[in-house]
Amino acid sequence: MAYSEKVVDHFNNPRNMGSFKKDEEGVGTGMVGAPECGDVMKLQIKVHNDMIVDAKFKTFGCGSAIASSSLATEWLKGKTIQEAQKIKNTDIVQELNLPPVKIHCSVLAEDAIKAALADYQKNADGPAAAAK
Amino acid sequence: MDDNKDTGMDHHDTHNSNPRELQMARSMCWHCQSEVSGEYFCDRCIKVQPVSKETDYFTCLGFPRRLTIDPRKLEAKFYELSRAFHPDFYQNKSETEQAISLGNSAILNSAYRTLRDPIQRAEYLLDLEAGAVKELKNSPPADLFEEILELQDTLNEYRAAERTSETQQQLRAKLHAEQLTLEQRKQDMETNLQQLFTNWDALQDHGDATSQARTERDRLLKQIREILANRTYVKSIVNNLVATIG
Repeated sequence: MAYSEKVVDHFNNPRNMGSFKKDEEGVGTGMVGAPECGDVMKLQIKVHNDMIVDAKFKTFGCGSAIASSSLATEWLKGKTIQEAQKIKNTDIVQELNLPPVKIHCSVLAEDAIKAALADYQKNADGPAAAAK
Repeated sequence: MDDNKDTGMDHHDTHNSNPRELQMARSMCWHCQSEVSGEYFCDRCIKVQPVSKETDYFTCLGFPRRLTIDPRKLEAKFYELSRAFHPDFYQNKSETEQAISLGNSAILNSAYRTLRDPIQRAEYLLDLEAGAVKELKNSPPADLFEEILELQDTLNEYRAAERTSETQQQLRAKLHAEQLTLEQRKQDMETNLQQLFTNWDALQDHGDATSQARTERDRLLKQIREILANRTYVKSIVNNLVATIG
């Protein structure tokens, strides 16, 4: 199967690869996996004043999964929490021209974004709220 | 336990013993409209009967929904039905019968391919039973994920290192050690799965409809699903390791 040019570009030059310390202030971590194919994705955001100032990812998986998470971090930077909530897997499919068999990679990326946002929220609410 | 190998666990001899498990997908012969009591052939006019698309693979092969299946019995049943449905034997029959023969053969092949492999069988059963367990969310195994991502970094370092350099040799040794550890872990998961499969089967054989049995059932299914998922992650990184360091 041929990857689209954009997938190949993200795969060869992944943006924002790496990670933040989990317990750093303002950091939200999303860790998701696809039990069907064994792909693993970690996506992190760094938030300041409700704005995502930085994002990083690490993905173990196929080219489409790497490209999806790489693109996601690019999109997340500069967005507010509310704007980030609105990123849909279909946006990723469209941007990367993913074929039907690779749509689950974009779903994984959306799940990772959601998980990172939820984790950030949980940390921001503080341990008192988490204990409830 | 390789995906294509059987588990060698065949101490259950309950197959076919419970006629209620063999629900027929239809009750009336398409040809003579008489009641069909045989498995796939009408007793009266001996015409082949179609396997319904809604028939699950266990029913199709005449086995109860169990996670442990004697591979020899399964194979014997598959050959028996393969012969019975084989299109070669229907060349001089009506078009309807030829179509049924083809359709049945296709379903039978998928059914056998799925059920002969213990892992695929378990995944298939989870799909069938999903109604009850779908709500029970598994939390992702964060530790395992961290480990996989870290290993991937090492793999990248290895790929980037100069060939036959000392650094590469060291990385290779490290990756090889990780590979052995992960393979052992996969093995342990499979041993664990076999135990859970046995527990599930015992519970089904018992057939209690109490709420306690239902809770236990869901707990088992959830556990099985979790280990199956973790096994896929481990298998995936092991394959990657093997492909990289050879």
